[in-house]
Amino acid sequence: MSAGTQFAAAAGAVVALPARLVEPVMYGLQRLLGIRRMPWVFLLPNLVAVILFALLPVFINVFYSVSGSDRLFPWDRPLVGGANYATLFDCDNFLDPSTCSRDLFWRALGNSLVFVPVQVTAMILIALLTAICLNRDIRARGFFRGIFFFPVMLSPVVVALTWQWILQRNGALNGLISSAGLTPVNWLVFPNTAFFWSVFVTVWAHMGFYTIILLAGLQAIPRDVYEAARMDSATPWRVFTRITLPLLKPVLLVVFILAVIRSVQTFDELYVLTGGGPGSATMLMVQYIFEVGFASQPRNFGLAAAASLLLGVALLIFTGIQMRISRSGRDD
Amino acid sequence: MASLTLDKVTKSFGAVEVIPGVDLDIKDGEFVVFVGPSGCGKSTLLRLIAGLEDVSDGDIRIEGDSVVSIPAADRGVAMVFQSYALYPHMTVRENLSFGLENIRMAKPEITRRVTEAATLLQIEQLLERRPKQLSGGQRQRVAIGRAITRDPKIFLFDEPLSNLDAELRVMMRVEITKLHERLGNTMIYVTHDQIEAMTMADKIVVLRKGVIEQVGAPLDLYNHPRNLFVAGFIGSPRMNFVEGRIEALGEHTITFAADGLPPLVLDGAVEGAATGAPVTLGVRPEDFLVSHAAEKGWPATVSIAEQYGASSYLHCTLPGDRPVLIHEPGQSKAGRGDVIHVAPPAGRWHLFDAEGLALGNPRLS
Repeated sequence: MSAGTQFAAAAGAVVALPARLVEPVMYGLQRLLGIRRMPWVFLLPNLVAVILFALLPVFINVFYSVSGSDRLFPWDRPLVGGANYATLFDCDNFLDPSTCSRDLFWRALGNSLVFVPVQVTAMILIALLTAICLNRDIRARGFFRGIFFFPVMLSPVVVALTWQWILQRNGALNGLISSAGLTPVNWLVFPNTAFFWSVFVTVWAHMGFYTIILLAGLQAIPRDVYEAARMDSATPWRVFTRITLPLLKPVLLVVFILAVIRSVQTFDELYVLTGGGPGSATMLMVQYIFEVGFASQPRNFGLAAAASLLLGVALLIFTGIQMRISRSGRDD
Repeated sequence: MASLTLDKVTKSFGAVEVIPGVDLDIKDGEFVVFVGPSGCGKSTLLRLIAGLEDVSDGDIRIEGDSVVSIPAADRGVAMVFQSYALYPHMTVRENLSFGLENIRMAKPEITRRVTEAATLLQIEQLLERRPKQLSGGQRQRVAIGRAITRDPKIFLFDEPLSNLDAELRVMMRVEITKLHERLGNTMIYVTHDQIEAMTMADKIVVLRKGVIEQVGAPLDLYNHPRNLFVAGFIGSPRMNFVEGRIEALGEHTITFAADGLPPLVLDGAVEGAATGAPVTLGVRPEDFLVSHAAEKGWPATVSIAEQYGASSYLHCTLPGDRPVLIHEPGQSKAGRGDVIHVAPPAGRWHLFDAEGLALGNPRLS
């Protein structure tokens, strides 16, 4: 026996050891429960995790939203019914946040309603464009794929700090601008530029992920369909609109749903980059929830829970609509 | 309809030379089949003609005009792909009309052409379906239909039948041949299946490693293969080969000898034969005369006798462990272990020299 095969045998034995230890236990369980109940044994670890960390918090959240005070433990909290929701909706004029008792909630909601469509549209357009470029026979394609995916692997705080360093008043961008003889701009101090950079940085940080999904979708389109289109005198634009887009539709839909959910959840990058400012110009829903529930004193868990529940319901409705659209797309 | 000329066409992918140089003339209205084993460059050659690949050097002329710098869509050729390459999200009708819409043809003319092609291929009732709702044979028809609507000068087929089952393949073979008779266009058809080549072609082009080995009518290639490769490739089951030497030359006979085999006197003469020269004798399975009794020819031990009913194939072994396949018309009396005697009749044999080139055709006096 060569050293290689000896090593392989030893490694195999090590790998097999847990299996040999577990095997008698499993057989015992199967004798005890019967083979039809065995799937539950294998599902149990995952089920426990999902119930403990996903389902249970949802129910706890519902309870918090209908209970008051700044006490943490549920048994210390008095029930207040719909009072938290009433507070959120306490407005004279829903189009003017300053007439609301919780004006920040409505400002954050308004910001999210602008941020999400703009960011998702920009994200998908840029990711699609990048994926199309990376799908071509260009030099150093693997390198560029890596480069575009790289920001996805960065911690959101690192992303935000990097861009803060670039965008702050004495930052790298203004350094470049002033060395070109132009007037530096205090990017993060004005609402409009801060909002623009919020969109830009979050797109930059996440587009690699969607680019990879779209690239996989593009590569799944058979090459000879494109060759047939070439023989069929299709211009590049018609190839894109009549071949690529329709065949990419299922993947685009998945990307769209993921991007919207992710966009609604945007928090960490902007919290570090702008802190929701200037004023409340870049404060989105999740940051509002965080501020109300955890950052400000006294902590208003009830209000935060009510706001996050509303957000969850909105996302649920949105996903439902998306699924219906995707299903009708599959039928035709 | 158009003639096609390939003039010293070469193609390299990077450092790999796939087609070292091809010269070929295809006449207007001919049905030409490119045949060869996988990787012989036949599909590449077709794609060069289509314009899906650029030639590295040389010229391609359609009706005398060079097309090497003309994009695929404007060469007046249409291609039927091996995978059909139908647009999966479009109906059959949209698949057929897409190319015509792209050149901004008038709607009524598009409708007329689509209807005409659909009628010709009997797919009218499928026009509103999607490719995935069609069977393999129907998809094949749609792919051909898409080529027909474009009314090309030259049709290109890239192994179009290889994804169909055996029965359907025979049917489509006949249909494509009929289609060629009806349309009269020049057609170039690529296949690795020599039976398709034999049954469909006006002219077969046998390719190996990007080089044309022989061009000719199917029976020309069958009866007069220019070299060992063509002899072995064309014809099914393939020709039997026995290596040996010329022992003696008579006036109208050649005596062929191989180690362990009794000398065989072949009736007929060939040019370029010399006594003592190492040669390979080629005999097609159906050319062997079988005698069950007389001790004439080579003794062959039957290892398997396949009875097809109308004919029989005897898998035999000659002395020296040389396998040989013999076709016997009718139902053979030979069984496993029997020894039969086989020899080719006058003129029904081929001799190849040490380089594998045929030594001319056997002439009978």
